[in-house]
Amino acid sequence: MTSLPYSDAIAPATRARPAADAPARRDRIVGALFVAPLVVALIVTTLYPTLFLIALATSKSTLGKPFRKFVGTDQFVATLTDGNFQIAVAKSIAFAFASATVEVAVGFLVALAFVTLLRLGRTLLVIALLPLMTPPVMVAVAWKLILAPAGGLLNGVLMKAGIIDAPLSFLATPFLAWLSIGVADLWQWVPFVAILSFAALVSLPDGVQEAAMVDGASPLQRLRHITLPLVAAPLASIFLLKLIIGFKLFDLVYVLTFGGPGFATTTATFGIWRLALEQFDVGNAAAETLVYAIVIGIVTIPVVRLHRFASENQP
Amino acid sequence: MTARALSSLELGRNPMRVLALGGALVALAFFLLPIAYLLSVSFKRKDDVLAGNFLPVDPTLDNWPGAFAATSLTTFIANSVIVSVLAGILTIAITLPAAYAMIRMGVFRRFLPQATLASYIAPPVVGLIPFFFLLKTIGLLNTHAGLILVYGLLNIPVAFWLIGPFLRRVPVEIEEAAALDGAGRFRTLVSVVAPIIAPGIAATTIIVVILSFNEFLLASGLTLTDGMRTLTVGISLFQGDRLVNFGQMAAASLAGIVPIYLIAFLMQKHLVEGLAKGGVK
Repeated sequence: MTSLPYSDAIAPATRARPAADAPARRDRIVGALFVAPLVVALIVTTLYPTLFLIALATSKSTLGKPFRKFVGTDQFVATLTDGNFQIAVAKSIAFAFASATVEVAVGFLVALAFVTLLRLGRTLLVIALLPLMTPPVMVAVAWKLILAPAGGLLNGVLMKAGIIDAPLSFLATPFLAWLSIGVADLWQWVPFVAILSFAALVSLPDGVQEAAMVDGASPLQRLRHITLPLVAAPLASIFLLKLIIGFKLFDLVYVLTFGGPGFATTTATFGIWRLALEQFDVGNAAAETLVYAIVIGIVTIPVVRLHRFASENQP
Repeated sequence: MTARALSSLELGRNPMRVLALGGALVALAFFLLPIAYLLSVSFKRKDDVLAGNFLPVDPTLDNWPGAFAATSLTTFIANSVIVSVLAGILTIAITLPAAYAMIRMGVFRRFLPQATLASYIAPPVVGLIPFFFLLKTIGLLNTHAGLILVYGLLNIPVAFWLIGPFLRRVPVEIEEAAALDGAGRFRTLVSVVAPIIAPGIAATTIIVVILSFNEFLLASGLTLTDGMRTLTVGISLFQGDRLVNFGQMAAASLAGIVPIYLIAFLMQKHLVEGLAKGGVK
């Protein structure tokens, strides 16, 4: 560290300009250069898609020939009054909230178990990486094999146990199809929640727990009155993250149900994908995308508020 | 679990630990079950698959070479590796200097960090159509470079989220010492700060590489031919096949997951630490 080579590129400038604010100015230029690629990236990944989608949504557009004719708000009106799309958006939102709620609760319990096991728990946590790292498409393939009517593991087990007489088509009935997607999603994301919750739990100060133990608080009382208030903020963060991830649901639907049976598991994202890449109706797909993005923004705001509240009122 | 390991947990003395151990084992069994079943099915013969047993009755190795013969699996895996690794490098090359400038130099610190993180909220489907036309216009549709560009840029928020906490923990004194020695910002970042947070950079790189490797929605729209398809798209096509062979499908899926699991296994410590630190305040 002591013998860092003198930077030739910068040294002359320092000598040439003895003014006190020269290094600060140079710092500003260097800083701007450092962030410039990221700013460009943000423009390409957020601003450009937004403007492009607006242009597509207000014109008659197909995948082969975009921007054929200006149609104003026609496609937005069609999107907003499309009952199927409304239902798809509602399902997406319901799935995101339901899966985030269940998975944060289960993941937190798993983390509690791991924390209680101390060093063994830390070792076992590594196994939790596996589902998290598995590509969602393969997660869906694995669950499809387990749930298959002919030769699926679950049907085999249930029939051998005498619980059912004939195999169930889990992916062919709306309720069971959603449940199946939910279980596959739970499998993939509970480890994520558990790893983050584990980190939050082990970073808690030891003294508080011990003091409560000395005072004779039961494990459940300690969890309710000491641990939970202390991890409320990180849990709110994790919930927000999982909620955002939940809105992106696509791969599991594609492989497990392809939106079916009928349109039962067609989410907003899946519907948009089909409209754009199967029917090439890019104009309406763009309108749907914008509406969905805005809806996500609106329903996420209360959660962001809650998150801020939890962070600011941290004990 | 050996008797010694059990006794070292002093199970007899602490009922909470017994409960925790039971819960943890159930969770682990649940985490391992689908992977174990995939592995088992990959060794099953066609008629064996229909029996619904956990283990193959008459194991065969045929599905593994069969999966490689039935599809362009090798090409798919190669495409995924090329795209995800180069996209990961692009993400880090953009994020590290920018995060350093925002966090340590205070550049645009009011709104740029928030704007970066907020951009993650938008679902990937938002980019599907615009990126299709963008890549088509610049001639990168259905190319490795096109996917690398899209993934490289889209994973920046995640990389920033993960790498930020590592950067914040670098002692300011070390940077000041480097500055006194005459090192410019760039040299300080490359020769002083980056080596200190190398574990964080490693964890972040691995995670963004895996995110690209696993991506499906955009890859399905931005690649058009078998020669360019990534693994997830290839497996999804395998899916659509009417004469789907479960054994081969399981083998193909596993063949694609193995590289990821190897990385996860070798880098487990960094990964858990990277996620845990990046995580949550």
